[in-house]
Amino acid sequence: CHPPGMRKPVSRTMFRAALQLSVSGARSLTRSRPQYTASVAARSYSHGKQETDEEFDARWVTYFSKPDIDAWELRKGMNTLIGYDLVPEPKILDAALRACRRLNDLASAIRILEAVKDKSGPHKEIYPYVLQELQPTLNELGIPTPEELGIDKA
Amino acid sequence: MAHQAHAYHMVDPSPWPLTGAIAALLMTSGLAIWFHFHSTVLMTLGLILLLLTMYQWWRDIIREGTFQGHHTPPVQKGLRYGMILFITSEVFFFLGFFWAFYHSSLAPTPELGGCWPPTGITPLDPFEVPLLNTAVLLASGVTVTWAHHSIMEGERKQAIQSLTLTILLGLYFTALQATEYYEAPFTIADGVYGSTFFVATGFHGLHVIIGSTFLAVCLLRQVQYHFTSEHHFGFEAAAWYWHFVDVVWLFLYVSIYWWGS
Repeated sequence: CHPPGMRKPVSRTMFRAALQLSVSGARSLTRSRPQYTASVAARSYSHGKQETDEEFDARWVTYFSKPDIDAWELRKGMNTLIGYDLVPEPKILDAALRACRRLNDLASAIRILEAVKDKSGPHKEIYPYVLQELQPTLNELGIPTPEELGIDKA
Repeated sequence: MAHQAHAYHMVDPSPWPLTGAIAALLMTSGLAIWFHFHSTVLMTLGLILLLLTMYQWWRDIIREGTFQGHHTPPVQKGLRYGMILFITSEVFFFLGFFWAFYHSSLAPTPELGGCWPPTGITPLDPFEVPLLNTAVLLASGVTVTWAHHSIMEGERKQAIQSLTLTILLGLYFTALQATEYYEAPFTIADGVYGSTFFVATGFHGLHVIIGSTFLAVCLLRQVQYHFTSEHHFGFEAAAWYWHFVDVVWLFLYVSIYWWGS
């Protein structure tokens, strides 16, 4: 069930804009940014070609989709991704979860879900949305959520 | 009486390589004996023999160079190469521990909570004693350079003062680091965080002690007029080693203390 007020496809602007969390107090500024020129993740240089949101997402999907990705690369990728000032798109998370499956790492798969909730910060509507988007994958791969396991409460 | 027709140093036969090798044997087997049979006798014997070997071997080098004049320019060049190669090998030694640190911290395992610092670890505040330690070593780099220039300019008293100050700073670092080790909320047994932290900083601390000792020997020699303004390679070697120790600390500080927190 969609969170109230949101229709699929959910505007990426909403998430990207809402999630430039580092500039506290400038949220109205980020909300008005046009869709595909938002400053992205890793770097905000003063010059040089700026990667688009699509390019960013594609790059990370490719990273996690490497068939022979190893355990170190999976963990490194997740740590780098989570270090960015954004919540990763479901398609990236999907690729990461499938990498966990290839590596038989259920612990990391569940940890990824916990990280999404943590990265959402005060934006409580993001995590349920992401879970909803990932539900088919979670079912297919047999990944329980932290809530289902009862480990979401300290 | 025959004289050598070249400028190189054909060293007289010496027992110290043998005693050094025996010391190595006694220390290693002594370690195994300690582990399995709870006796430290053999290892201690090896340690004593090692100290005696080092003392007498280096004493002999000082006799050959300073008192007998065997350290001609080409010989000194060889000694320079030797020290540089040794320090290079030490760089690779530390490189290994940095590799271990980055391998573990860039991709922390699920057992650690998938994060760095790992769950449950409270790292030291990099802006407290570790920052002071950084200042202390950087300052000691300045004082050792001051000492070098003093020696080159024939300023005996200043050389002694600045060299003494360098050693005091080295001792201050060691004391500060010792209290940090004592007060730290984590131990070497605390997962890979503890392992990488204490092995890397521990070997560094050992090198600070070695470097301080080397400088102290230079101080004694300077007081005893061994160095001239033109020829003081022992001091230069000690200064190179000291700068190396300082640089390793800077990498440790930035990587483990600061980024790793």
